[in-house]
Amino acid sequence: MSEEHLKRGASQWSVGWRRFRKNKSALIGSAIVVFFIAVAILAPYIAPYPARSYLPLYEGEAGTPPSFKHPLGVEDSGIDVFSETIHGTRNDLYVGLAASLITTLIGVALGALAGYFKGAVSDILLGVIQVFFVIPVLLLILLFARVFSFLVFKGLGLTLIVLILSFFGWSSIAFIVRGETLRLKEMEFIQAARSLGAGSFRLLFRHIVPNILSPVIVVATLNIAGFILTEVVVSFLGFGDANTSTWGLLLNEGFSLVRTDWWVSLFPGLAVVLCVLGFNLMGDGLSDALNPRLRE
Amino acid sequence: MASLIRYIIRRLLFMIPVFLGVAILTYGVGNAAGSPLNLIRVGLRNPNPAVLEALTHYYHLDQPVWQRFLYWLWDLMHGNLGVSISGRPVASQIGPWALSTLELQVLALILSIVIGIPVGVYSSKHQYSKMDYAITTTAIFGYSMPTFWLGIMLVIIFSFNLGLLPGSGAVSVSYYWWGNPLLDQIAHLILPTLVLTYVNLATIVRLVRANMLEVMRQDYILAARASGLSERTVTYRYALRNAVSPVVTIIGLGFGAALGGAPALETTFSWPGLGYAFTQAALTLDIPLVQGITIVITLMVLVAILITDLTYALLDPRVTIG
Repeated sequence: MSEEHLKRGASQWSVGWRRFRKNKSALIGSAIVVFFIAVAILAPYIAPYPARSYLPLYEGEAGTPPSFKHPLGVEDSGIDVFSETIHGTRNDLYVGLAASLITTLIGVALGALAGYFKGAVSDILLGVIQVFFVIPVLLLILLFARVFSFLVFKGLGLTLIVLILSFFGWSSIAFIVRGETLRLKEMEFIQAARSLGAGSFRLLFRHIVPNILSPVIVVATLNIAGFILTEVVVSFLGFGDANTSTWGLLLNEGFSLVRTDWWVSLFPGLAVVLCVLGFNLMGDGLSDALNPRLRE
Repeated sequence: MASLIRYIIRRLLFMIPVFLGVAILTYGVGNAAGSPLNLIRVGLRNPNPAVLEALTHYYHLDQPVWQRFLYWLWDLMHGNLGVSISGRPVASQIGPWALSTLELQVLALILSIVIGIPVGVYSSKHQYSKMDYAITTTAIFGYSMPTFWLGIMLVIIFSFNLGLLPGSGAVSVSYYWWGNPLLDQIAHLILPTLVLTYVNLATIVRLVRANMLEVMRQDYILAARASGLSERTVTYRYALRNAVSPVVTIIGLGFGAALGGAPALETTFSWPGLGYAFTQAALTLDIPLVQGITIVITLMVLVAILITDLTYALLDPRVTIG
């Protein structure tokens, strides 16, 4: 054991932060994430063209390879790839962050309930969690996106994709939270709180859930990467929102031009890889920093 | 032996709710827009009224949803997946697609296990060496990459620019690559297999490495070393045996995920498998076909998980069956 663990007041979080700071790849990942968040926030100000704008067509530059004026080239339809990739950053981060937030809320609530209570309700909850864990979700996501986009929830746009991804994506968090809740509820500090008269609700959400936040944060971070990748696949296959700029939509358009305009396929894909890599490195770093078993 | 059979039966029983869940979701979404005819009208331009009439009759559309679902489930149990909007029975179309998908997936899985385990072990034995950094970096890129995008890049380079390999389909139509039908099939397999293997490898290498590192810290490894066993025996007979069983679980789940992720990869390579067929069917809203493919892929995933569970139980003596 090193010195720092013997100091008083070093909470789990400050110890974690100290370990995170020393991890080079975690810092690189965080820098990438910060960069993409900055681009997403500033997108309307730094993108040279508005979203889904065909302006370069009228400037006679449709289908031109990367140049000084269009650093990432132009599609045959006249869409500037650089500008569109920036707008895509904003929308893809929205999908990743929103879906991860919603699935975390659902997963924590259902996982904690399934782990804390005994009997039929928790058996059924566990069954539901397991079903969602093994079903081929991508197929169902594609199917739902296709059917709902123009029949039931017209005009929801990208938010529809967020809702569908969330509906199918909460089980990994629920699984972990259930396991941790099962482990924690037998521990002494919970029994102490119970003997002081704390009710089930208070025990669960004031005493148990705050103590399982670190694995939840790790998985939620990695899930952001996963949801962004899934959104890219959904839009690439043509099941996304055709009126909103996303990386997947660019790749979808790039695929139909793949024999001539390689730049439409290359650059948005690089943006996806870099952004997802950032979240994965950050998630791995958080996992190393917050995992008490690895402390030496 | 009796306990093994009981174990298999218990696992099979678990599959029933999973299967029902998928069946309800896929069937339900076809009815989300009220009558499924609304969907068929969107996918099919100017349908013949007689066709709609026949469909209404065939799919019992004049009856309540739950009753139709039971009819559909009953047919499903008898291997009847219905008739696709194009008029052909779904079940007869699915066979060849499933074979194409399995050909690609199984080949990539075998390759990634054969390569991934030794590479992961090497990486863990030389932790923090230059080679270890190279391996882990390559792995995390594979983990962060959309599979289909890597496929597109390879097609652009090797098919369009260098002309070395075919970039789409499973066989050639007009002439044979490398002048022979068998070599032609192999040529078509190379790029998609390469992409899928790389992505699978990324997961396997990371896991083997992490598990090996954890196992090598255990006391029994120290004991084995102290008793004078060679490093090779300690690594492969003691450590790997214990490190590999969690990997088997992930390989099984990952195989399921790869099957479910087939749409994007197969579309990139126009590979005539279930994923490509699913994408086309979903885009044209051929709901019976979509339902059939989803059910078949679900069954394949469940079988993969069952095989995984059994392998896990056989590999790891600590897991008791029964």
